[in-house]
Amino acid sequence: MIRLNCDKKFRELIDRSFVEEVSEGERQLIHGHIRDCDGCKRYVELTARTIRGLREFTFTPDPDSKAQVREILADHAGTMRQHNVQFKIWAAFAVALSMSFVGSALVYQVTKRLAVPMHFDTAQLQAGVLIFWLLPSFCAALCLLAAPRENRGIA
Amino acid sequence: MTLNTTAETETARIARGLRERDMELLADLVERCQHRLVRYLLYLTGRRDYAEDLAQETWVRVLQRGSQYNGRQRFDPWLFAIARNLAIDYLRKKGKAVQTALPNDRDAMLLLPSSGPSPFEAAARSEDAIRLAGQLQILSPLYREALLLRFQEDLSLPEIAQVLGAPVTTVTSRIYRGLAALRSAFEEGGDSPEL
Repeated sequence: MIRLNCDKKFRELIDRSFVEEVSEGERQLIHGHIRDCDGCKRYVELTARTIRGLREFTFTPDPDSKAQVREILADHAGTMRQHNVQFKIWAAFAVALSMSFVGSALVYQVTKRLAVPMHFDTAQLQAGVLIFWLLPSFCAALCLLAAPRENRGIA
Repeated sequence: MTLNTTAETETARIARGLRERDMELLADLVERCQHRLVRYLLYLTGRRDYAEDLAQETWVRVLQRGSQYNGRQRFDPWLFAIARNLAIDYLRKKGKAVQTALPNDRDAMLLLPSSGPSPFEAAARSEDAIRLAGQLQILSPLYREALLLRFQEDLSLPEIAQVLGAPVTTVTSRIYRGLAALRSAFEEGGDSPEL
């Protein structure tokens, strides 16, 4: 005999007992209730059966799928490593280039002070810094780009 | 206490491995989670071919964005959340999406019925499961995925909320409605609620 006046309250509680945590008191309440209420008892049985049925679906995995995924991941990892290496090379080139110019400016300032007693003029100093500092350092930066990929130690 | 510590260590180890793009760790995760990932995507899309493609795409995304996993939560909900977002985008690209009344609602994409043979009937391993398979196929994927995450993956409600990007109240509501729809499969002469 279904007791209509208790259906909604108890069925919400029953649902909650399957989906969430309920207190021991609430659990006892449900057990006590379903002893007398056929409707709620059936409701509990159907809910339990539904959940049990849901757990009885077994999808047969594709035996090759894991191997395929691992292969794809290895490919992607390789591509990402290459991109990473390229990025590092360009970053190193940018740093080397800026250090080349900044370093040349500093060297020029220091040389200018040191060269005063030696009576070098400005054009000679500039030529010296250009030939002995700026060009070599610029070439060194360019070498980063020109070196074969496998020989680029910075990656 | 020990279990918690172990779980923390495990998630931290996964987070570190993903940051460092540790291929051994990734292979291990694929071994452990691939089957469940495909199953989840199958529940979500209702199509085996979509599920397989999306699972591969999900792992690539894990490789690319592994550093975003912080290791404070379990790995599985994070993985499923990635898969879910990809599934929604994938369905949209596949032309499964139609302009609905809520064109900006990402969840609306999942409300579209899937076509093709039911993968649920093929997967049913008991008489009860066979009876549920038909209901599952017509059930909204929103309810289907909530049921799967709760009763097959055994995720907690907050974890499911994290995967779905929805409040816990919405999650519980979807589970209750999904259960109600499936229960009707066992009710004599009972009509399934329209979901």
